[in-house]
Amino acid sequence: MSDVKTMTDPHSKNEQTAMIGIGEYRVGSFPMMTIGLGSCIGLTLYDDSLKVGAMVHIMLPESAGRSDRPGKYADTAVPTIIKELNAMGCKNRSLVAKMAGGAAMFEYFGANLNIGERNAIKVRTLLEEHHIHLAKEDVGGKCGRSVTFLPTSSGKFSIRRADGTTAEL
Amino acid sequence: MKLTSVQSDAIQELGNIGAAHAATTLSQMLGSTVEMSVPAIKAIDISELGEYMGDEPAAMVAFELQGEIPHGGYIIFYISRESAIRLTNTMLGLTDMNRTMNEMDESALLEVGNIMVSAFLDATAELLGFIMLPSPPALSLDMAHATMSSLIAQMSEEVDEVLLFSTELVCEEHKIDSDIIMLPESSTLARIVELMENMMKGI
Repeated sequence: MSDVKTMTDPHSKNEQTAMIGIGEYRVGSFPMMTIGLGSCIGLTLYDDSLKVGAMVHIMLPESAGRSDRPGKYADTAVPTIIKELNAMGCKNRSLVAKMAGGAAMFEYFGANLNIGERNAIKVRTLLEEHHIHLAKEDVGGKCGRSVTFLPTSSGKFSIRRADGTTAEL
Repeated sequence: MKLTSVQSDAIQELGNIGAAHAATTLSQMLGSTVEMSVPAIKAIDISELGEYMGDEPAAMVAFELQGEIPHGGYIIFYISRESAIRLTNTMLGLTDMNRTMNEMDESALLEVGNIMVSAFLDATAELLGFIMLPSPPALSLDMAHATMSSLIAQMSEEVDEVLLFSTELVCEEHKIDSDIIMLPESSTLARIVELMENMMKGI
């Protein structure tokens, strides 16, 4: 690594990776990870000028008025993490979004519910409403995914899929 | 729903009986002894599901619980990918552990899941006089957490906490380790608890 002096080591021991469980979110510059996304969505927002970001593990598109677990539903999760990032000084126009997940794990079983697809559509709509650019996504299909998000490495968003393939958004 | 220790014991007993029948069928299919654990009942917050099921590859055969309660939740035959290969190898007379799974493996797993879950639900129906029928099976060969969380997402009731009710079935000879997991909707759980309580009171 040539630019090691100017960058915080993303894997330094005192920066433990935060595991983001279903319906949870975190905001900061530490490494974050969410595992085993099926129909759920792993969404990150990242501000490159401030090197901070947020990650949320969304399970369902609509909260239907529930507010006790904002990270669980797309319609409460997106405004919540935006608000927290705004509070840290991030402007919406400098935030970049990436997402993964939204798969349909079973071919003919609850597939009519299409939760994964509905989650992805809802997130896209909400990001647009808040004027946040969705830079890249890896959604749909029928494959589970795990995501690692490194705010200190320019918001690096790495995906490991259940079939063993990897990708970077 | 919060369970008292008596209710939790009752469900454990139900799991014991169901799993014993499932273990017998597995043992017959493998021609080998199958041991079962004491059923474990854990109430898990959905945010902590990852601590119980990670992104390790697993085969899961899932069934919707139907019958008296139309969408009663799910029952799942869970087996790690390694154990799944050992299981289908034993059934198909193969030895190669490093092969990729094919259609033969998939239909074998669906069949094993179907037979075991049917045995489990037959036994519980006989005991409770409450009929839960399995839907046709659906197989997922994927990260355990991805499959499980997708099932939880499509449950009809809002779920913040799941009651994982699982029994481990182990075949020492072939090093096969599997689990039967029940993910009841709260209506199903309430009905099961009520019937178990009545039974213990001798009604």
